[in-house]
Amino acid sequence: MNSTSDDELLDQLAQVLERADPMPDGLLDRVRFAIDLESYLDVEVARWEHGSALAGVRSSAEPGSVTFTVDDLTVMVSFLRTQRGYRIDGWLAPPGPHTVEVRIDGHGSSTTTADTNGRFALPDVPRGVTQILVHLSGNGRSARTVVTPTLVL
Amino acid sequence: MSLSTTDDPPWEGLDGAERHAVCLTAAREGDRAALHVLVSELTPLVWHVVRGQGLNRPAAEDVVQTVWLAFLRHLNRLTEPRALAAWLITTARREAVRVRSAERSGASAAPAEMLDQVPTADGQPEAEAVRDDRDRRLWSAFRRLPQRCQDLLRLTVLAGRARYEAVAEAMGMPRGSIGPTRGRCLDSLRALLDAEGGSR
Repeated sequence: MNSTSDDELLDQLAQVLERADPMPDGLLDRVRFAIDLESYLDVEVARWEHGSALAGVRSSAEPGSVTFTVDDLTVMVSFLRTQRGYRIDGWLAPPGPHTVEVRIDGHGSSTTTADTNGRFALPDVPRGVTQILVHLSGNGRSARTVVTPTLVL
Repeated sequence: MSLSTTDDPPWEGLDGAERHAVCLTAAREGDRAALHVLVSELTPLVWHVVRGQGLNRPAAEDVVQTVWLAFLRHLNRLTEPRALAAWLITTARREAVRVRSAERSGASAAPAEMLDQVPTADGQPEAEAVRDDRDRRLWSAFRRLPQRCQDLLRLTVLAGRARYEAVAEAMGMPRGSIGPTRGRCLDSLRALLDAEGGSR
């Protein structure tokens, strides 16, 4: 009958939660990479726009394009496969001479600056766990860094 | 008494909320090892809270990262280090709800091949995902509990049984009612298990 005590039942439940729905492999590594930033204070988290960054298709061979947003900035990014990695083309709206940084786990980062139309390009980015940062320069508000969750390219 | 060397981090030998409070204080001062301890030990809590809100696994992973990125920004604003678990639970849940409602409002945007990857209507794995027979019965019984009981029991096992404050705050329940409510949820769980042929 009811031979299991509350504590035993909770122990069993803890185990079954872990077995039924384990965290994805590498999730902790990706979280650690995502938050391993120069500065924490000015970080603003961008969210993938629904319909563009469909989770689950993102690690497929050709991720195509994604859009991410914060309240006053939209960033569209497209990925084109190259021999060694990816070409990244992007567009910031509203445009501004902001610095765009692409971090790849284990491969450092590549940086470029958007032009007056908000366009930017990085012709050869290695594949891997990728995070995009946009360093926004002043204009009224204090400097901020918009950061995304990681993409696996 | 244990001897400790000066090289031991200040959270060494501590556990639970106390350990995480010390890590939080160290992380604020720029100690990345402390931050990594928090990530390693509290991400399972965040993960299961988000999954409990019905997000599929890839979407849940994004939310887990979003919660930790938001945490960076709040590092200096969390005035009460012991409130960390409650903050993570609340933020994870709010973010999951936000993503879920965005998905629902544009539901048709998901390509058909993606739907195959969604295990059930609410994103949680079916009992068949669990191999062991006892585990399968328990999971199946757990999934038939009222949502509020599932949430409470999930938080109980993940946040640590002693963390009544965190659980109470995240559930919006008075602290004093957590124990009795949990007891009733466990009784319901036992009854469901018995109905299925024994709780062993």
